[in-house]
Amino acid sequence: MLIASGLVKRYGAVTALDGFDLRVEPGEIAGLVGHNGAGKTTFFEIAGGLTAPDAGHVHVKGDVGVAPQQLALYPTITVRETLRLFGGLAGLRGPPLAAAVGGTAEELALTDVLDRRVSVLSGGQQRRVQAATALLPGPDVLLLDEPTAGADPGTRAALLAAVRRRADGGATVVYCTHYLPELTELAATIAVARNGRVIARGTGAELLKDLPGEVRVTVEGGEEITVATTDPTATLAALLRDLDRPVRGIDIRQPSLDDLYRELSHAS
Amino acid sequence: MRREPSREIEGARGVAVRASLRRVAVLARHNALLRRRDPAHFVSYLVMPMVLMLIFKGMLGEATQAVTGLLVMFSVLSMADVANASLTERSWHTWERLRSTRAAVPEILIGKALPVFAVLVVQQAALLVYGVLAVGMRPAGPLWPLALAVVVWCFVLLCAGTAVAGVVRSQGELSTLCNIAALSVSALGGALVPFALMPSWAQAVAPISPGYWATIMLQAAVRGDVAGTAGPAAVLAGLGTAAGAFACWRFARGWGRSSAL
Repeated sequence: MLIASGLVKRYGAVTALDGFDLRVEPGEIAGLVGHNGAGKTTFFEIAGGLTAPDAGHVHVKGDVGVAPQQLALYPTITVRETLRLFGGLAGLRGPPLAAAVGGTAEELALTDVLDRRVSVLSGGQQRRVQAATALLPGPDVLLLDEPTAGADPGTRAALLAAVRRRADGGATVVYCTHYLPELTELAATIAVARNGRVIARGTGAELLKDLPGEVRVTVEGGEEITVATTDPTATLAALLRDLDRPVRGIDIRQPSLDDLYRELSHAS
Repeated sequence: MRREPSREIEGARGVAVRASLRRVAVLARHNALLRRRDPAHFVSYLVMPMVLMLIFKGMLGEATQAVTGLLVMFSVLSMADVANASLTERSWHTWERLRSTRAAVPEILIGKALPVFAVLVVQQAALLVYGVLAVGMRPAGPLWPLALAVVVWCFVLLCAGTAVAGVVRSQGELSTLCNIAALSVSALGGALVPFALMPSWAQAVAPISPGYWATIMLQAAVRGDVAGTAGPAAVLAGLGTAAGAFACWRFARGWGRSSAL
């Protein structure tokens, strides 16, 4: 479990966090979204124990595994040596360590590169190694800061599946991303951060329910009539009733997480 | 059966201490591996003084001055290597990554320092053995003052190198700083030219250079002069402790995203 209450963090004149609250339960994946500078990485640094807040506190129950946004790997050692290092620091040794290294490598499609130096790996492979260092010890809390940034679709799928498995196993996950479809795939709850605060929190369905979708009707002659609405059925019925020309096409677009993201993170 | 609370606390402490020692061992093994993967500087700081010792012996006609002087000069140069071991952790962002593991900052620093210290000791010891076998230096008296001198000097290099790694902003800055320090510390300290031959102004300012204390400590140790070794060793130990305290403080704060590397 992770509970952040009233976190404040200032860097000189810049306020990175300004009363940041977040509660994530075991087995839950919380997708933390927001524009650059919203305070996401600062929150990760505090929750990961890298820096202390100026006010507020974080309560973390259990071990924490962190995959930071920046690649933080030793280029001169192999993938196996990297995984053994982080597994060893988490208290694993002997056969359990070897099993964890092998299992995590297989899970993230790294088995073939276990004995290659990190410096010769592709960007996507390095991303997976970085995620593996966080996932391998089986931590109770996982903090993943844009783990799929720049990753190819295969890497992304492997990572998402591994994260989902950890959550299914009871881990508390905070997953920071700009790729919102990933949160749908992960069945994550969502926290939208802006100006150092969480301004909206809930499941995707809860957060989308008051957001307008779009009804688009194409009439004869090619003209398109577009109406934003929270009740597409009633809006469409009213449109069809009032139209005096034949209808050639109807398109109903439900609100998406992208709409939510734009709406909330830009709202003043 | 009820257990005594104090025994339970002791047991928990014992488990925590063992876990801490295991993490230090994991980190020390990891850092030894990093050193093994990049041995170039270690080799160059061994070979270069070995060649120069023979030339300086011929010029000065005095083996102890040639051996201890060049040992001091090249060990200050190798401080760049020590600093680099910590600087790479900053440029690779791995320092922050390690801090986010279960390992505490003192464990990370000790795990990093142990292999670096071992390499420094091996380097200095190899040069002294070479000095005896190939240059003709003749240590008198017991060897333990020499061992003490090597350990103290390596401690200073380790702490000073790590402190420097905490403040420089680039590899270029580090290299410049260490090159200037090596030459000025060695020259002012009487490592290149015997102290008695230095101009009077240089003799007056020599004690501000750690190289001065290192040189007179090593020369006293070679002579088997215990008192002559202990005094400079105490001065250097104080310097090393101050530099080490600063390095611990700086690295414990970390850099986050503000790393200027």
